[in-house]
Amino acid sequence: MGKSPKTPEQKKYEQLEKQYETKRPLLKNVLKAFFVGGFFCLIGQVITYIFIYFFNFTEQTAGNPTVATMVFISMLLTGFGVYDHIGQFAGAGSAVPVTGFGNSVISAAIEHKTEGYVLGVGGNIFKLAGSVIVFGVFSAFIVALIKTILIQLGVI
Amino acid sequence: MNKKRIIIVPLTILVLIGCANKQDGNDSKIALMKKTDPPPIELVDNPETDSYGHAIKREISKMKELYDVAVIQGKEETLVVYKVKHLQRFHMKKIEKKMDRYLEDKYPDEDFILSSDYKIFLETIRLKEKLKKGSIPKKDAEKKFQDIVKLQKEKT
Repeated sequence: MGKSPKTPEQKKYEQLEKQYETKRPLLKNVLKAFFVGGFFCLIGQVITYIFIYFFNFTEQTAGNPTVATMVFISMLLTGFGVYDHIGQFAGAGSAVPVTGFGNSVISAAIEHKTEGYVLGVGGNIFKLAGSVIVFGVFSAFIVALIKTILIQLGVI
Repeated sequence: MNKKRIIIVPLTILVLIGCANKQDGNDSKIALMKKTDPPPIELVDNPETDSYGHAIKREISKMKELYDVAVIQGKEETLVVYKVKHLQRFHMKKIEKKMDRYLEDKYPDEDFILSSDYKIFLETIRLKEKLKKGSIPKKDAEKKFQDIVKLQKEKT
């Protein structure tokens, strides 16, 4: 049903729509996302080095506390209302890195605060981030399963 | 008000970092970024006959993928830490295998631990500086060396 050929009216409407649609500056948006996302990664790298240099973490183990710190910082920034502006400016550049996770948690919590702490905040805090956790855990499980099988078979 | 907070949070973090105040020497301060080229540490009982740290350092340094090599020769095992040139980091596994094979061929009776971790490198430099300053006795140096080995084996 969904794939049926378009009627002449639909085609006409599409052309009309194209005329009035505001053009998105694609290259500009992509560049903004690239640089802002890259800047977050730079901060992450600095934090990793801080953990390596001042605390007892190796390059391999410093990743976990770095992610936690980045999420925490983005949560604070969301609460102060700074991250909204960054998100508006950079789009995917601020949503795709792990900082976007913290943003989605806290923004959902703020949005539903008026509905009460249990049903509002508690019930909705993972509205967006829940899917990240579900698919993250599930895909990790699948990958671990494949790895276990491959090790048992002696491939790796 | 908001702006004040945004300034205060990173400042607190910076102050907390400043409080960590480890007394590092010149080499360990730059160990994460630049070439330090430390002489090997030999913790063996009779260095005249048993030592091969210098030889290993000289041979491993010849590999063109690396730019800095540190060696600690402990009583039972020898730790070889190296820094890989940036673009060669894609072949990290291959380089480690190559070194492992080389060392096993050349010194079949010795146990080697190879690591390319910056943290292990930094700790090695710190140990070297302490020994040079004479602030720790040899017995403690061996213990510190075991701590580094333990840190290297940590996965999470």
